[in-house]
Amino acid sequence: MMRVDLAVVGAGPAGLAAAAEAVTHGMTVALIDDNARPGGQYFRHVPPSFRRTAATAFDKDRARAEALFAITRHPQVTYLPEATVWDVPEPLTLAVAAGPRSGQVEAGAIVVAAGAHDRPVPFPGWTLPGVVSAGGVQNLIKGFRLVPGTRAAVAGNGPLLFLIGASLLRAGVAVAAVVEAAPIDRRLPAALPQLLAAPEILQQALDYRWALLRAGVPVLTGWAPVNAEGEDAVRAVQAAPIAEDGSVDRARARSFDCDLLVVGFGLVPSVELLRLAGAGLRFDRRRGGWLPERDEALETTRRNIFAAGDGTGIGGVELALIEGRRAAVEAAVQLSRIAPFAADEIRAGLRRRWKRLDRFRRGIEALFAPPKDFLALQTPQTVLCRCEEVTRQEIEERRAEGFRGAVQLKSTTRMGMGRCQGRNCMATLAALVAADSGASESAVALPKARAPARPIPIGDLLHETIPPPDLPADPHLPRKRRT
Amino acid sequence: MTHRFDAGIDRGTAFTITVDDAAVRAFPGESVAAALLGDGRRAFRRTARTGAPRSLYCGMGVCWDCLVTIDGRSGLRACMTEAQPGMRVLTGRTGLEPEAGR
Amino acid sequence: MTSIPSRADAVIVGAGIAGLCTALPLAKAGRTVVVLDRGAAWGDASGANAGTLSLQVKRPEVLHVTRRAIELWQAMRAELGADVGFAKPGGLRVATSEKELGMLRGSMAVQASLGLETEWLEGNRLRDAAPWLGPSVRAATWCDWDALSSPLLAGRALLAAARRRGVTVQDQAEVTAIAALDRGYRVTTAAGTVDCAQLVIAAGAWTGKVAALLGVDLPVDADVNMLSVTEPAPPLLDKVVTHMGGVLSLKQYPNGTVMIGGGWQGRGSHQSMRRETDHLNLLHNMRVACAIVPALKDLRLVRSWAGFEGVASDALPLLGALPGRPGAFVNACARGGYSQGPALGEQMAELMLTGRTSLDVARFDPARFAAAGAHA
Repeated sequence: MMRVDLAVVGAGPAGLAAAAEAVTHGMTVALIDDNARPGGQYFRHVPPSFRRTAATAFDKDRARAEALFAITRHPQVTYLPEATVWDVPEPLTLAVAAGPRSGQVEAGAIVVAAGAHDRPVPFPGWTLPGVVSAGGVQNLIKGFRLVPGTRAAVAGNGPLLFLIGASLLRAGVAVAAVVEAAPIDRRLPAALPQLLAAPEILQQALDYRWALLRAGVPVLTGWAPVNAEGEDAVRAVQAAPIAEDGSVDRARARSFDCDLLVVGFGLVPSVELLRLAGAGLRFDRRRGGWLPERDEALETTRRNIFAAGDGTGIGGVELALIEGRRAAVEAAVQLSRIAPFAADEIRAGLRRRWKRLDRFRRGIEALFAPPKDFLALQTPQTVLCRCEEVTRQEIEERRAEGFRGAVQLKSTTRMGMGRCQGRNCMATLAALVAADSGASESAVALPKARAPARPIPIGDLLHETIPPPDLPADPHLPRKRRT
Repeated sequence: MTHRFDAGIDRGTAFTITVDDAAVRAFPGESVAAALLGDGRRAFRRTARTGAPRSLYCGMGVCWDCLVTIDGRSGLRACMTEAQPGMRVLTGRTGLEPEAGR
Repeated sequence: MTSIPSRADAVIVGAGIAGLCTALPLAKAGRTVVVLDRGAAWGDASGANAGTLSLQVKRPEVLHVTRRAIELWQAMRAELGADVGFAKPGGLRVATSEKELGMLRGSMAVQASLGLETEWLEGNRLRDAAPWLGPSVRAATWCDWDALSSPLLAGRALLAAARRRGVTVQDQAEVTAIAALDRGYRVTTAAGTVDCAQLVIAAGAWTGKVAALLGVDLPVDADVNMLSVTEPAPPLLDKVVTHMGGVLSLKQYPNGTVMIGGGWQGRGSHQSMRRETDHLNLLHNMRVACAIVPALKDLRLVRSWAGFEGVASDALPLLGALPGRPGAFVNACARGGYSQGPALGEQMAELMLTGRTSLDVARFDPARFAAAGAHA
């Protein structure tokens, strides 16, 4: 059992910033991350064994990243890479699986900065090799200078698509098309005032768009991928116009040859740990779906558990860096590690910047607001649950047998029962149940959050010293338990 | 096919891993997934139920689709496992019976 | 929401294994049946249990019923026209200490006297039969009746079969009142009211609560059993494993996942409706499992959960007529009720249809508690 003032879950932008802020207030920190190296997705970088020979555009954030990574070596910080937080056995205790280092971390406060992953949106062929998530392709580029294809198409919804299109071009890959579901060109004038809150980020986005234009890449807005074609790997993608009500005009479909289809439909905050901790959630579709409820101090509904960064609603790296600091300051206040007047001073500056970036985020959300749903992309044969290979047709068959609701459809199809623990399909199931019942996605009762928050090797659970078990005297009689 | 580009970096000296009896080049620090993709491979495995090909999808350890068997241990994520010299990687079905358990 | 019929020959409270296995033979005999569930059908113990169909792990009083149940489980695929994941690989009941060895020998002798022959395995014969067992296992008894099924598949198959036979299965229909009529009962639920000639309480952990609506006290509590399941893995163990100390059940399903149970208790209670895994007991459960089958260390734990199991104070089934309440019956709280369910349902239906049962179920008569409890 390790005891620290602050446990930070996730060593991405928000987590690193939280740890760095916390040590300035004299706190001891456990920084727990499931990756081998710090940085999360945004600051993912090539391995130390890759020698840098020249500065390129891919190194744009290098100096900033290295400065942030320094916190992992700080004497007040215990950095636990390749470590998975899998349970919250007590209100402020985390169970960590990390091979022989496995055990519990007890903290005065916790900052959950668990980040986000790509929103899975099923359409025919999306399980084919060569169909890769936006985050996955970015990680290959940032982490290994590798693109798994030579002619790429980029499709989905959200600002990342343009960034990826531009970095693919920069990596020397042909880009067949960028397909964006939201009619952003039509919406731009209305969103512009908010976007101008962060002109430096807006400028970057325009640069990406300009790079695509210059390269002659077709950019289709208000379109969506309706089929990835191929037998053993993707060969082409068909895209068609999608309306705001989610309906798709397949008659107007266009086909683009590609050996890599990058799909990105926005990001989903990773809230499973917060659910496990009993923190309250709220639903905000534009911001990624289920998000933790937080107060002004970024505290969740669980005392001394704070949440920061994209794991609380997608906002991007700059917002995450500020939120990480803000959460650590509030934790320091709770633990009386900082005088109130000193906290107020830091708070004021951070909140001002946060407000500006939050305004920009609202502009992005308005610009890229997705159609009502993406269910029309599916055909009966489309795989909805990648782990258990459950198709849309199987869901419809269960409904015809009288099964309703996410929990029943899950247990009668095994949808969501595979290794990904539903991360790839529960949002789809919720959307299907919502569409069926006429209720909103937020009203769909999802299966309970349970340990382990991520699959963990059972062998990791054998290392800790624990009190002896209370064995039943007669196994046939009712058991004793804690209520 | 796959494209390792060298913008501003030198990968160092490659080593070899074995993938289904074939020698595959990997660079120090690369993930098994990067080595397989770098070799131009598409499918990493076939699914248990339908035999469908699967490969890297999320690339960050969330989706569990890029599963391979490494040195006898099945169900490992190629995207989260660093390649080591001499590693023996098996693709193919993930050690399961097809059409089972439904 | 669909409404329930206003009358039926039989109303069954609880759409788990006990209720559905009672409903099917009644429907087959031409009775109109309504099955009510307070939540989702198959949503509690029946859907959340380990699927173990072990005969040798059962206490002597229920051996005959369990044996009949395993026969019915085996026939279920043909009977229902759907897979219930049944397999009968046989099972090992392991002992790891001197005390457990003694208990296992005693249990083996009692079972033999009741006509169940098991085989004692130790040393090389045990390792040959199960090379995957760890060194902590001193001996085991082998029972070729031990089987398994998939609760998820079975639930779907039983619900579909019941609906095909015209049984009304109504979710979200918690019973709020039961009134005696001249002949039969009027059952008021959250989803409507239904009159019936016969009433069966098959409500698992909530059996006491429903019986109380008829003014009958039944001493029913609920265990909060934890279960865990691994990622799919290559074939690892080819038999059902149970433990003399009652702290482990293990089996690998055809899809490669290994189910790990053993009655370790989660937190919560059926009164509070809270059922959560207990961290420390989960660690204990995994440690016992790895001690018995060390190769489990290399598998990943994917899910764990906790489910209520209704249990009477003497941990024997409640099966029979409710004393002083003509036409009202109980079929609930059999310890390991999932495995015994098909047989107990069959016996319940026989009793309702003919007034007799083909098996001796006298020991399960709820009247054994009536003297202490009924306030008629």
